Amino acid sequence: MAAGGKAEVASTRNDFDSIWSLYLWIGIGVAVLVFAAVGFALVRYRARPGRVPSRRAELNLLEGLVAALILAIVALLVFRTFRTEANEDDSSRADAVKVDVDAFQWGWKFTYPGKGVTVIGNSNHEPEFAVPEGRTISFALTSLDVIHAMWIPDQRFKKDAIPGRVNHFDMEFDEPGREQGLCSEFCGFRHSGMRFGVRVLSDRGYERWLATHR
Amino acid sequence: MNGGAKGGGGPLLAWAAIMIALGTMLAIWSEGSATALLFLVGPIPLILVAAWNRARPAPGGPRLLARVSVPVVVIAIGAALAAIGLTGGLWLVLIGGEVALFGLVWLAREMTLERRGVGRR
Amino acid sequence: MAGDPPVAVAIDRGAGLERGFAWLAATDHKKTAAKIAVASLFFFGLSGLLALTMRAELAQPGLQFVSDHTYDELFTMHGSGMIYLFLTPAALGLGLYLVPLQVGASEIAAPRLALFGFWIYLFGGLTMYSGFLTNNGAGDDSWTATIPLSNSTGTPGVGMDLWVIGVALAVFGSLLIGITILLTILRHRAPGMTMLRMPVFTWTMLATVFMVVASFPVLVVAMGLLLAERHIGGIFTGSTGSIVYQHLFWFYGHPVVYVMFFPFVGAVGEVVATFSRKRFFGYRALVVSLLFFTALSMSVWGHHMFITGAVKNQFYSLTSQLLAVPAGIEYLDLIATMIGGAIVFRAPMLFALGFIVQFLLGGLTGIILASPPLDYHVNGSYFVVAHFHYTLLAGSFFGLLAGVHYWFPKATGAMLRERLAKASFWVLVAGTNLTFFPMFFLGYEGMPRRVANYEPGLGDLNLLSSIGAGVIAIGVLLVLANFVVSLRRRVPAGDNPWGAQTLEWWTTSPPPRDNFTSLPEITSYAPLLDRREAAEEEQERRAEVPV
Repeated sequence: MAAGGKAEVASTRNDFDSIWSLYLWIGIGVAVLVFAAVGFALVRYRARPGRVPSRRAELNLLEGLVAALILAIVALLVFRTFRTEANEDDSSRADAVKVDVDAFQWGWKFTYPGKGVTVIGNSNHEPEFAVPEGRTISFALTSLDVIHAMWIPDQRFKKDAIPGRVNHFDMEFDEPGREQGLCSEFCGFRHSGMRFGVRVLSDRGYERWLATHR
Repeated sequence: MNGGAKGGGGPLLAWAAIMIALGTMLAIWSEGSATALLFLVGPIPLILVAAWNRARPAPGGPRLLARVSVPVVVIAIGAALAAIGLTGGLWLVLIGGEVALFGLVWLAREMTLERRGVGRR
Repeated sequence: MAGDPPVAVAIDRGAGLERGFAWLAATDHKKTAAKIAVASLFFFGLSGLLALTMRAELAQPGLQFVSDHTYDELFTMHGSGMIYLFLTPAALGLGLYLVPLQVGASEIAAPRLALFGFWIYLFGGLTMYSGFLTNNGAGDDSWTATIPLSNSTGTPGVGMDLWVIGVALAVFGSLLIGITILLTILRHRAPGMTMLRMPVFTWTMLATVFMVVASFPVLVVAMGLLLAERHIGGIFTGSTGSIVYQHLFWFYGHPVVYVMFFPFVGAVGEVVATFSRKRFFGYRALVVSLLFFTALSMSVWGHHMFITGAVKNQFYSLTSQLLAVPAGIEYLDLIATMIGGAIVFRAPMLFALGFIVQFLLGGLTGIILASPPLDYHVNGSYFVVAHFHYTLLAGSFFGLLAGVHYWFPKATGAMLRERLAKASFWVLVAGTNLTFFPMFFLGYEGMPRRVANYEPGLGDLNLLSSIGAGVIAIGVLLVLANFVVSLRRRVPAGDNPWGAQTLEWWTTSPPPRDNFTSLPEITSYAPLLDRREAAEEEQERRAEVPV
């Protein structure tokens, strides 16, 4: 992996997009095919006076061919999934920005280890943490009580926050602006209020943000 | 004269074989995770049932069937009360247990009388 | 031999007892199945009302009708009720009624055990719902009750205890019923009914009970451990405790959705064959694919845990996507049964077609969820809610209705009103799609599950969904109205109003107490069709002989 190059940075959104279209269009294709076959059967073979139904009830060659075809499609999907999944395994880059995330009922605590910055908030006051754009952000996620999940829809990624366990994952935020995050694992009655914000800043903006939050 | 040489055990054994294969695959892939053992929860009793069915096939011919069995309902009431007693308190477990026991004795009597009644005919 | 009916010796107890009382303790599998039908319909109604309340709350952003905590009880009891108390028992109840008839048996194996199973299930359901009467309310940690939220700190109160106990009872009762179906298939098939002459529906029931026997006990154990955790503690400890619970739960939690699928795809198979006037196509391929399907379905549970990071994602992703192969064979067989047939569009066939078309959307979105990188976005969102409602409601429930409309005449001796049935079908199609299709987009856009409140931009799609729920309710009422009207002013059905192919149609409608007074020769999985075809051939042969 090239050191520091933007092209090599983990992007969960790219990973998602790269196979979403594949799955979606194959799914749509299969659905259209099946609907067409059903529609054809219903129109062509509806009961009419004098229509005698066929007695054919078996064609194992056809069954085998269809099974093989589906297996081939599944093989393609599995291959692409495995390849994309391998991308997302934690890369532990040396120049990654580290953020420790503690989820709790019903809020979030974001800590920048070694930088002396902590942001904390809950459903009454939504916390917002900042990241520099285009760099790998390396999260270490855990929970202080029950299972939560950290979901950033714009990143097309979520991970469980499990008490007693730290989940590591990387993200890359490409566009400056604000992205919404939320808890997506039911965690009690304020689950729907357990939201947070991610502010994506330029490198300098991020350094300034860190300085003001020390 | 129930159809099938093995008395119907063939599909059970085939299914059990596929399960064991899948469980082995997970055991290897997950480097010995204990969860692979879950794959045996089905095959073991089903293989035993298939063996039992082969060894003791249904006798065929007339079956002794009760039309109504009130003690069964009584046992169910007792069992449910006892289960609720696990949170409600020991007193409820005991009451439920007594009811269920009463029902079991009643059922045993009911079934013995049936068999005796048929034998007489 | 052909013609020998299965014989039973009856001990006629019940003389002198009130009719109603006798019905409650009757051991006839048809009566036990009727009891299951009534109970599961009752729980369907309760759980459905909860869903309507949820959709009323979700129609607009913000909280209008219920508090967050109440909403948590609503969605927990809706999901639990539908899965543990309605669709699973209904699937097994359908098998309890039909399997003895389809295999030519006079009674289920172990009828007392089936009766006991029914009562345990019913008490379990009542126990679960009784939580609403307690201080802290009913169970409110979803139908999965994940640790640590479901322990006594996370969810205090006796209502949650009653939920745990009730679930264990309901699932245990269902397990017992499944066992009786299995034993019937193994031990009480009529002479000549080899395994490879069993009808399609019975084969899907066999596949179902494999999963029941293999996974339901694990859930009962998980609930027992959860109860112990709540009262004693120290069971699911350390960093792996919550993961261990999830393994135990989902090892049941995935196969159960196939328990709620296979019987209905079997019913659809029977309906499609009957109303295409052809025997079911690809029977042997179906048998093989069912065995693989049911084993595979027990190997995929980890896909519910992809985002935990604690399971071997690749194994579960592979097995989950492989499910497409046997599913595809079943679809091929259904379509190939129609092709070359003479299709008649009666109500059961409409519901069967609804199942075929709508279930597919659920199944294909399931393949999407089986890919971890995709699951990382849509897990825990309304995309998943859409997926499983397409499989369970738009799919299995339509399959159930296909079976109900098909076998209602056999069980009651009365025909259902055809136009009312068709009207209810179209209303349900409209309502189902209006309710759940928008949810795919809601999930993709970032709406999580299990929330009473959501961000303002998602209000329009939620409103559509809520309107759809009202339409579903109307459709359900039309179906219920059909039952009532058809039983009040009966149109006699006769033995075989549909010209169907399997043994249950040989006997009267409804069947006598011991199911059959005679049996035809059993020559395939469609013995009545064999007889008709043989008679036709005989006629043709006679016509050719010169006078």
